[in-house]
Amino acid sequence: MDIPILETRALSKSFGAVDAVRGVNWQVQSGTVCALIGDNGAGKSSLIKLISGVYQPSAGEIWVRGEKAQINSPQDALKLGIAPVYQDLALVESRNVVMNLFLGNELTHGPLNIFLDHRRMALEAQRVLLEMRSRIPSVFEPVRKLSGGQRQAVAIGRTLIRQGEIIILDEPTAALGVEQTGEVLALVQRLREAGKTVILITHNMSHVMQVADQVAVMYRGELVHTTRKEDTDEHQLVARIMGWKPENKESKENKETEAA
Amino acid sequence: MQSTSLPSRPLRLRPAEWLLENGLYLSTLLLFIAFALFVPNFLSLDNMLVILGAAAIKGIIAAGFTLAAISGLLDVSVIGVLALASVLTAVLYERLGWPLPLTLLVVVVGAYLTGLVNSWMVHNARINSFVATTATSSLFLGVAIALTGGQSIVITRPELQGVFLARPLGINLAIWLTFAVYGLGYVLLNHTKLGAHFYAMGINYQAARLSGIRVGRVTRIALVISAMATALAAVIATARAGNTLLFGTTITGYDVSEIFIIALLGGVSLFGGYGRIERNLVAALFLALLYNGLQLLSAPASVWLLLKGVAFIFAILFDTLRQRQQAR
Repeated sequence: MDIPILETRALSKSFGAVDAVRGVNWQVQSGTVCALIGDNGAGKSSLIKLISGVYQPSAGEIWVRGEKAQINSPQDALKLGIAPVYQDLALVESRNVVMNLFLGNELTHGPLNIFLDHRRMALEAQRVLLEMRSRIPSVFEPVRKLSGGQRQAVAIGRTLIRQGEIIILDEPTAALGVEQTGEVLALVQRLREAGKTVILITHNMSHVMQVADQVAVMYRGELVHTTRKEDTDEHQLVARIMGWKPENKESKENKETEAA
Repeated sequence: MQSTSLPSRPLRLRPAEWLLENGLYLSTLLLFIAFALFVPNFLSLDNMLVILGAAAIKGIIAAGFTLAAISGLLDVSVIGVLALASVLTAVLYERLGWPLPLTLLVVVVGAYLTGLVNSWMVHNARINSFVATTATSSLFLGVAIALTGGQSIVITRPELQGVFLARPLGINLAIWLTFAVYGLGYVLLNHTKLGAHFYAMGINYQAARLSGIRVGRVTRIALVISAMATALAAVIATARAGNTLLFGTTITGYDVSEIFIIALLGGVSLFGGYGRIERNLVAALFLALLYNGLQLLSAPASVWLLLKGVAFIFAILFDTLRQRQQAR
């Protein structure tokens, strides 16, 4: 698998005077879990929004499966198999699990395919939840009655329903307790086993070391470091997040004088 | 677990929830019984048809309003569209002598255009729907007044009334049309992909957009449907009245607040994402029943207005309470 499933070339995004993303060259290999880490404001969310079609680049290109991609809207990204799961999960609280799983992607049948196929959707929803080994009691449960971990499962389930290939998880465990976090991490591994590519944005270094294959570090809008999990450890990653560069000793002194 | 059998739906409703769900039906039934017992001349076939006929027009407008409201769009340009559709009908059909089918076609196109204007304001100009449609209502009303030069037009050609006041199988065409509109609306909302998208957009606009739903398109469709329903109601009402609904610079007999009341009593939420169109029909009936009963009792107009106000407040409270309960 030499051609990366996702690649950005000199990708940049500016908001007025603020350069949120600066010339990012990033390759993500198919079937891997790639952790995207960095401090607050480093540009992780912006980079992801560029890939998922919420933002349009100020400069640079996005390549998917070896072909240049024009991603002008969330729909374009979805058609390419890029399935983001945002931090707020983008769920419709008052509707049930089935409708949320199929949001925007409802199954139809009948003449001209106009009529919703409730039956098929309910069965499919059950199958997906089973596949994820989720403990949601009923697919007809309204989402607002679900716990954080269960909602996360629904949000991720949606990507499976959409046949997402590149699944982007933005801080999936941020608001979860210990047990639910474990469930989500297990889910990430199951996604990889199913052949999906997962991009995981997280602040938690121990999660990175647990599930990631590759790690990409962002600092002030730039992609400053990429490595395999085996070649690094938590300390090194934290240092990178804070902007440490290994070229020469002076870089650290420069930072100190900058701060002064 | 065998995944070939359909999972069962949970079935539980606490008493308070049951009352909120079915209070409308209950109230309508009780009102009907009360009037049947205590109001003379109430329980006659003719009177029943009068009630249904009155409920029909406002019901049709409310159906369109509800559909848009479910999508999170409050379309209050009702008055403007009513005026414009009514005036277009009168000017083309009566003054210019156009054939009825052509006139109706132009009215449909006109309604479509007003829907587009509204959706441009809301989606492209990103103006809050209530504000935007209040503004466009004046715009449409202005166009309507300009078309007639401020004068009322009396319909003398017989076909319009011949068609729209006909009584196939003894029941007003208006009533048939109302059932057709509600039937289509029900199927659209509950059994089509578009209907699911209306609800999604209404409850969580961002979620809908990020899920790939084309919110611009859904907005357009919702507002066009609302305009078309209002235009249909306008044509029927014009036929019934025998002249344009526009008197000088206002429309008499139609008030946006009543449409709100019907929609709210019918379970529509001003916050979007809720509403079941079939309940609107009952709500429209409820109001028509009330009005009819008060008329037969020769009650003063103030009683009607007071009760309308109470119903309105009650409906808003119900909506707000329900929102708060949902947010738990």
